[in-house]
Amino acid sequence: MIEGKLVDLVPFEDDFATYFEQWMNEESWFRARVWERREPHPEDAVKKFIEKMEKNEHGALIGFQTKDGDPIGGVIWDHEWTRVRKVDAILFVGDMRYEGTDEALDGLLMLLRYVFETRGVHRVDAAALAFDEVRIEFYHRAGFSHEGTLRQHVRWDGDYVDLELFGLLEDEWPGYEQITAQLDLQPSGIEPKPKPEKKDEKKNGSGQQPG
Amino acid sequence: MFEGLLVDLVPYGKDFLDRENEWANAEASFWGSGGDRRVVSRAQTQARLQRWAEALESGHDTGVAFGIRAKDGTPLGFMGLTWVLPYHRLAMLGAKIGDPAYWSGGYGTDALLLVIDYAFDWLDMHKLWLTTTGFNRRVMRQMEKVGFTLESRARRETLADGQWHDGLFYGLLRTEWPGRDAKIEQLGLRVRAEG
Amino acid sequence: MTVLHGLLVDLVPSTAEFGEKMYQFWNNESRMWATMGDYGPISRAQIERIREERAQAVERGYTGVHFMMRARDGQIIGNIGLNWVDYYNRVAYLGSWIGEPDYWSGGHGTDALLLLVEYGLSWLDLRRLALSTMGPNVRAQRNVEKVGFRLEARERQATLVNGAWVDALTYGMLREEWRGRDVLVEELDLRARAEQRYGTGDE
Repeated sequence: MIEGKLVDLVPFEDDFATYFEQWMNEESWFRARVWERREPHPEDAVKKFIEKMEKNEHGALIGFQTKDGDPIGGVIWDHEWTRVRKVDAILFVGDMRYEGTDEALDGLLMLLRYVFETRGVHRVDAAALAFDEVRIEFYHRAGFSHEGTLRQHVRWDGDYVDLELFGLLEDEWPGYEQITAQLDLQPSGIEPKPKPEKKDEKKNGSGQQPG
Repeated sequence: MFEGLLVDLVPYGKDFLDRENEWANAEASFWGSGGDRRVVSRAQTQARLQRWAEALESGHDTGVAFGIRAKDGTPLGFMGLTWVLPYHRLAMLGAKIGDPAYWSGGYGTDALLLVIDYAFDWLDMHKLWLTTTGFNRRVMRQMEKVGFTLESRARRETLADGQWHDGLFYGLLRTEWPGRDAKIEQLGLRVRAEG
Repeated sequence: MTVLHGLLVDLVPSTAEFGEKMYQFWNNESRMWATMGDYGPISRAQIERIREERAQAVERGYTGVHFMMRARDGQIIGNIGLNWVDYYNRVAYLGSWIGEPDYWSGGHGTDALLLLVEYGLSWLDLRRLALSTMGPNVRAQRNVEKVGFRLEARERQATLVNGAWVDALTYGMLREEWRGRDVLVEELDLRARAEQRYGTGDE
């Protein structure tokens, strides 16, 4: 666990894996993953995605949760390009009650803290669909610069929409402590949701060990 | 396969694959990779080509590779769609001319016009895009000439010979493309090719 | 969880519980109607193998998109999807299957079809949708015609169904022929049909 101001980064497993079957089918997932084809993700595709990210040598999927342990969503760093020390950063909010809250923003800041202060990257890339104002606002608050607009780039519900590109460089990142102090993050006071029901173990006994 | 004025686009077959290792170690690779200077063994190149072939076979790589062949039969390099997202009808272009002697004679532009027509007329793409680096003036000039728009500038994205350089994103919408014939006319390429 | 919200059904991603449903659907008469007479007993192990193969097909570049059909009462009643999406020609073949006979003729299939067509045109930007059925499946023919599909081909005596040679019919619809989901929901009275079956409440 990596502890932050309002949220902690934790492995993407247990309750996260359970929630993910739902989250990966929400609109917010497709807004976060701008390149993905909008399609239903059946159970096995959800598991496969987690597995793929677990084996990914140039990226990872990490869960983030409140201080009470309430899972909010995930952060992804990916396509790490070691020669130029560059990664793509993705924030997704699964529990939509947290959309736009400081907890969600802290998820993004914790991701930036991790890639700049632990992995030592030089540059972080981020993208947002042009109508995704909440995300764009987050990028600005985290210190990203808007670098350009890829016109009519992605198909979205009957139309082609612009993709806004953002970048943040290591010498522009003030450090996690400083930026969180500056942004004065405040908890939203959202009640933690009840724990999800444990999924039935497979009859043939090959199911995972509990927790 | 597709006939241009100075070059033809042909399948990226043995003639081209045989030159891959030479090109991978040449100056062309520095420009194509945004500043990397790789020193690659034949075995490494072989392994890379093998992975590429497998990715095409399995459908993980949806790209389309053409060889650029001069009219005298010389294999000049690669031109193609390196990343095709059919559901967004979006394709990324990539090119590499191996031999510097062919860098400014209009060969690349000739091949580029063919592949643009191919992507719009045969694959029904909505948009084409590509990335290059802020120090690649030749490509920047070429893109502006052909009608691409500079859409985004990723600051200090890549390192080349000790300096950080911006990454550039260029895009061309289908609605902006007048067609190859009109473009050839507009740029006066026929005269140049004959001259 | 829901991806596409309808009036009588929601189209949702496939979950683990669909395995057992598949076993049930593939072993009842619905199988004959949903296919063209391809009907016979099938074991749980075979179903499991089919599910595994399908899951792996995506890795091999399979482009189909499939949804489970969940009725307003929560029952999983069938599936519907694009069996093959040809992105270069922007064409897809639809397949639909209601495995619970109790839900036939209630408008569930039509509701699902409208959602799927709208999805194919809006999200995947397809130009043409096609589907096939067989001569005896008059209900399917009526449904797809109402939605705007046109009969394009009749292959005479193409398939054997329950001892008789029957025609295979192919229907197609072009993008510009689609009148929009809202218009058809109105025209086909789906709101009233949903109310009749499930009472008022959430859509």
